[in-house]
Amino acid sequence: MSETAVALRSVAKNFPNGIEALRATDLSIAEGSFVSLVGPSGCGKSTLLRLIAGLLAPTTGTIERHDDRMGFVFQDPTLMPWATALENVALPLRLNGGTDDSSARHALQRLGLDGFAGAYPHQLSGGMQMRVSIARATVTSPRLLLMDEPFAALDEFTRFRLNDDLRALWQKHGWTVVFVTHSVQEAVFLSQRVIVMSPRPGGIVADMRIDLPQERRNDFRLSHTFIDQCACVSTSLHAATAAQDSAA
Amino acid sequence: MRAAGKVILPFLFGALLLIIWEVAIRLNHIPQFILPAPSAIAISLWKDGPDLLRNLSVTVEVTLVALLLATITGVAIAVALAQWPLAERTFFPYAVFIQVTPIVTIAPFIIIWVENIFVVLLILAWMAAVFPIISNTLLGLKSASANLRELFRLYRASRWQTLRRLLIPTALPYFLGGLRISGGLALIGTVVAEMVAGTSGAQSGLASRLLEASYRLELPRAMACFVLLSATGLILYWALKVLSHRLLRHWHESARGIEN
Ligand SMILES: Nc1ncnc2c1ncn2[C@@H]1O[C@H](COP(=O)(O)OP(=O)(O)OP(=O)(O)O)[C@@H](O)[C@H]1O
Ligand SMILES: [Mg+2]
Repeated sequence: MSETAVALRSVAKNFPNGIEALRATDLSIAEGSFVSLVGPSGCGKSTLLRLIAGLLAPTTGTIERHDDRMGFVFQDPTLMPWATALENVALPLRLNGGTDDSSARHALQRLGLDGFAGAYPHQLSGGMQMRVSIARATVTSPRLLLMDEPFAALDEFTRFRLNDDLRALWQKHGWTVVFVTHSVQEAVFLSQRVIVMSPRPGGIVADMRIDLPQERRNDFRLSHTFIDQCACVSTSLHAATAAQDSAA
Repeated sequence: MRAAGKVILPFLFGALLLIIWEVAIRLNHIPQFILPAPSAIAISLWKDGPDLLRNLSVTVEVTLVALLLATITGVAIAVALAQWPLAERTFFPYAVFIQVTPIVTIAPFIIIWVENIFVVLLILAWMAAVFPIISNTLLGLKSASANLRELFRLYRASRWQTLRRLLIPTALPYFLGGLRISGGLALIGTVVAEMVAGTSGAQSGLASRLLEASYRLELPRAMACFVLLSATGLILYWALKVLSHRLLRHWHESARGIEN
């Protein structure tokens, strides 16, 4: 069960312009777990995610991934405007030399977009575009799903719905998910583990296990246990930001 | 009503201008070799039309072949320059050089070096038309969204896959914008080249017929040539616009318009 999906050993990233985006960081993520990264803007969340994906090379340190089958969901849907929803979802298959669209259709279906295979992105709402993006990221049955604030631009209602969907899919398929968000509530609701980061230089300041039942329905957001956990994460987030401010 | 206004208003305005022109010529007894009346031009169009259309077809042929060559070479050059930044730094200045050089100043050399007049015209029209295609396509190839590029990298897309599935579709609207400009420039290039090359006779283009008629002070005929060339330019522009709309209507902002 607790195989390691991702292991970072003293990974640091400095950009050529002198910004120390991530100071030496150790992190290991268990296979099949749902981990959220929270922290103020500019603390290196996206950088960490892109390092894990292999889109950025670390300045020092090593990154190991157990399985190279990955899906990545960007902050905005990042769809090809000239391609239909189905073609967008099928892209990873095509790039891999595949010609069969059945798994792309299946991925669309899984995200409740059955009737929209032939729609162009501009014909879809923001929430639907995000679903297409998630369908694309999961079409290759990845073992590791990396998501960079995927729901940040959506209204609360749509966001809650997609949170539920995402949790259900994760439970069903056993993906390892690394989820970046600004929202403490979202992180606590979704995750088994929340990692708090602070900026300048970016790094991990707290690593918290979320002790909540696996079954989380919508009204769970109003329960005391949920609110207590959120308060706990918030406190550590504020402590990190305050320490940062007084140091500056 | 709105659609009718779009056609009728410009048409009425044009008709009004022609009437004023016609009346002014008649009232002031202006001789034909200074400024012919619209009616005289129309008569010449009717009488010499079939003859002139033969010459026009020569001009149109040069224009279209030059535009086709400009498209093929322009896109090929843009793709090459986009793939190798070093190539862009090395060769792009020469593309600019071709663009800023007035083709009239190069024409005499080309005429000396190349014997076949059709090829001379083709080279000059190509020079006039190729730059907007190169520069627009190049800009388009470099405009792919950074996130989509990363996505392609994540799935280990080959250079060719990235070009075909990401860069070329991104560049398409830019290319079509360049093509529309180049269409007009190819015609202008052909006309200028014909005038400089001084071709004559039945095999010559319409621009040389225009020049020939004006030397003989047959202004109605010269103006008939002018009308035909302008109409050709308009049709070419319209055709490229329709082509662009066809190719982009499913997805690009420029072709989508407002949907109800
Ligand atoms: N390509 C880059 N070149 C130079 N500096 C960069 C680059 N990418 C990010 N940075 C810097 O690294 C730091 C961390 O950026 P990062 O995008 O990881 O932050 P983030 O936590 O994702 O912020 P946000 O929540 O606003 O998305 C920032 O100070 C940013 O300016
Ligand atoms: Mg970010």
